Amino acid sequence: MTTAHAEAAGTLPHEPEKATLEGRNKVLAFWLFLGGESVLFGTLFATFLALRNQTNEGPSANELFHLPLVAAATFLLLVSSLTSVFAIQAMHRNKPALLRNWLLITVFLGLGFLGLEIYEFSEYIRHEKFGMTTSAFSSAFYTLVGFHGAHVAFGILWISVLIGQLARKGLTVITAPKVYVSAMYWHFIDVVWVFIFTVVYLLGKVG
Amino acid sequence: MATEQHSPSDGAVKHRHRQEGPQRHIVVFVLSVVLTLIAFAAVAAGGVNATFAVILLLVMAVFQVILQMGFWMHLKDKGHLLPIIFMLGGFFIAGTCIVMALYWVWWD
Amino acid sequence: MAQAAQSLNPSPPLRHGHSVKRHTGLMDWITTVDHKKIAILYLWAGGLFFGIGGLEAILIRIQLIKPMNTFLDAQTFNELITMHGTTMIFLGVMPVIFALMNAVIPLQIGARDVAFPFLNSLGFWTFLFGGILLNLSWIMGGAPDAGWTAYTPLSTIQYSGTHGVDFYTIGLQIAGLGTLIGGINFLATIITMRAPGMSFMRMPMFVWASFITSAIILFAFPAITVGLVLLTFDRILGANFFETSSGGNPVLWQHIFWIFGHPEVYILILPAFGIISEVIPTFARKRLFGYSSMVFATILIAFLGFMVWAHHMFTTGLGPVANALFSVSTMLIAVPTGIKIFNWLFTMWGGQVRFTSPNLFAVGFIPTFTMGGVTGVMLASAPADFQFHDTYFVVAHFHYVIVGGLVSGLFAGLHYWWPKMFGRMLSERLGKWTFWTFIIGFHLTFFVQHFLGLMGMQRRVFTYLPNQQFDLLNLVSTIGAGLMGVGMLIFLTNIFLTSRKPADAADDPWGDGRTLEWTISSPPPEYNFKQTPLVRGLDAFWKEKTSGHTAMTPAEPVGPIHMPSATILPFLMSVGIFIAGFGFMFSRDDFGNAFMSFMFNNYLVTAIGLLITFGSMLVRSLYDDHGWHIEPEELEGR
Repeated sequence: MTTAHAEAAGTLPHEPEKATLEGRNKVLAFWLFLGGESVLFGTLFATFLALRNQTNEGPSANELFHLPLVAAATFLLLVSSLTSVFAIQAMHRNKPALLRNWLLITVFLGLGFLGLEIYEFSEYIRHEKFGMTTSAFSSAFYTLVGFHGAHVAFGILWISVLIGQLARKGLTVITAPKVYVSAMYWHFIDVVWVFIFTVVYLLGKVG
Repeated sequence: MATEQHSPSDGAVKHRHRQEGPQRHIVVFVLSVVLTLIAFAAVAAGGVNATFAVILLLVMAVFQVILQMGFWMHLKDKGHLLPIIFMLGGFFIAGTCIVMALYWVWWD
Repeated sequence: MAQAAQSLNPSPPLRHGHSVKRHTGLMDWITTVDHKKIAILYLWAGGLFFGIGGLEAILIRIQLIKPMNTFLDAQTFNELITMHGTTMIFLGVMPVIFALMNAVIPLQIGARDVAFPFLNSLGFWTFLFGGILLNLSWIMGGAPDAGWTAYTPLSTIQYSGTHGVDFYTIGLQIAGLGTLIGGINFLATIITMRAPGMSFMRMPMFVWASFITSAIILFAFPAITVGLVLLTFDRILGANFFETSSGGNPVLWQHIFWIFGHPEVYILILPAFGIISEVIPTFARKRLFGYSSMVFATILIAFLGFMVWAHHMFTTGLGPVANALFSVSTMLIAVPTGIKIFNWLFTMWGGQVRFTSPNLFAVGFIPTFTMGGVTGVMLASAPADFQFHDTYFVVAHFHYVIVGGLVSGLFAGLHYWWPKMFGRMLSERLGKWTFWTFIIGFHLTFFVQHFLGLMGMQRRVFTYLPNQQFDLLNLVSTIGAGLMGVGMLIFLTNIFLTSRKPADAADDPWGDGRTLEWTISSPPPEYNFKQTPLVRGLDAFWKEKTSGHTAMTPAEPVGPIHMPSATILPFLMSVGIFIAGFGFMFSRDDFGNAFMSFMFNNYLVTAIGLLITFGSMLVRSLYDDHGWHIEPEELEGR
């Protein structure tokens, strides 16, 4: 059994995230976790779809959503998913500085997305009288989109911590699986957003 | 673009792991942008038949997700059979929930 | 971190240079990441909650012993039935299942530990603190009272105004997190940690059952996570998911609950199937009949288990199409289950069956569970279900599958693996007494409830009028419940007496062990296998025995063994979640005390709890655990 510890002293292999049993276990288990997350978001989407027309005389999806804002948020998250791919490529080429830079860009794009979402929510609450308690539709909207936003926020914190760790410990067979798994998480967040902008915003506009 | 940059130490595994360049990921990105734009444009233009719009939007979303999960999350690569099984399992249960929400929550 | 315990580090300087921190006493149990010790923690915690749930059951039966009884009032009765169901399912039997999985899976697959020892510990502590939170409701303003299914609108703030249901939602949320973590850990363990030669189709049936169970956990628990979040938001944040006056829909809760809830009953029963599939071949001295059909049937049951949830909801008026669909899919489950029943019978057929206490429970399981299965098919018929719904017929049905099935299976597994877990054989004489009192008591309690249900006695009602022919059958049922209680007491006596005997169980105490756990000492050393064994077929140990060998062929030379370090972080993380849950639950309360109101109403308590949890996660991430090594000299010295 190769342990992380035994490998740590040697040179870095091509795919450092899969060099140790611990690393491979971590990647596999994270896939399993994402399978569970799919059900989590699936149930939230189901709730939203069941309640999407229950506006209780409050604003409806069609009245509420502004596509330019959603398009901007979508673009930010999509680019951040690409930069996180570049980060992993830099890791596979053993270029820690490049890796750090791509991770930093990813974090900033994520912050931009989160800022837009907070702005959007505050606009709805202040100007549209559309809060958590307005209607069943509003509850479902805030819970689904808010859960995604919380995932983005957690991802930002996570990747930031990893940037710090890379600075201190360097790129090793212990840090590499962490970076790889965080990138998987970030891609998954983007995948969920693809369904959110389609099902919540665009289909909401279609009616 | 120079893509074959190895650190000296991994020469031994050079044959098994060809470094992939950023090109294909940029292609996936551009395709994602195009799919997203088609979806937004169809809605922004208005006047599209609602049933057609729903089908179009869902097809665009599914394509984009397949692209990103296949290439960016490496599900198309070898050794990902179990991740694919478990992701499909998750998506299947999620789909079941959505069928429930669409057909069995409200009385007609 | 408070790693204050004394160091028992054996002196020769370790080649790998990491010092070993060894804790003793309580600190050892709080910080352990050893799957065998975590199994014992799960067992004691599960036993505690099982005892609480059992006492609740006895109180319910005492109230129903005669018509118009005034032993309990209606509100207390509602709280008791709610907590009995919730406690037994989530906090009683689930941890005992996890105890056996933890104790047995790594040994049966020839592994030194699970894939994620840290997460294993985290899973246990979150489960325990969730369970404690839920049960604190008894002394903090009233237990949940809306039934274990917490149907809306009964469970909304309008009809259940105390904090009871909040304890239910938050407590189950935290406990469920632990279960999910455990499920992912077992999946990864079984996928990646199997010994050389052990292909998927050479895994013992209990490992297969645990694998499929863990997959169901992975896909079912996120649904209840969302359901509980929605109910929590409705109750605490004033959301409108289930609030009809604002556009919500209470049936949505039923759907989400049962999309989780029905797979949950397969999470409960599949491990029991696995245990029975281990015990029966061992004591019939025959390999399991139809191994591959068993595997296939297990997978099919898991799949169908997700496709039948609405059979709990026939009477909500889903319409004829949905009712027919869910009727048929439910009846289909009888096919793979029947395959299993016949496979067990054919395994015993022509075998040299020994009726040891584990085998008694296993053999008793088969007809008892089959009866529960048959009433299940009856309930699957939608038109008939309109008559059975919410009567004692349903109560009889699910107690036949869960108590007659699962609990019998757990008893079989506990008697079977007790020597491996604790190094001491349970008394066979007391074990047989446990079996007979338990199974006779069980059938007395629940067989008559079929007829009570058919005669129209409603479940969840705290009393009944005389002269409806309910009186005698209820009396019989209560006497049976008492007998089951006696069976439990005999089992506890057995444990107590056994714990005072010397730990002298043989490696293979039943003599006919077929799988890898019987090749190592009882209890196993902390590294389990000095050398990873080479697996040459199904029933690896039996195969070696039939080839005339007494031990496994090692797959590696003796070398240093890497071990994970003990850590208190999982405990701290769980304490943090516990505090955060409390803070959130009481965030809308008026305490009449400026400081308390300030702390709770501004979510400061929640923030402190989350800070502890995330802080511990950060510590875990920042400081690498290099673990420590057991050197070959030490291995040989033992």
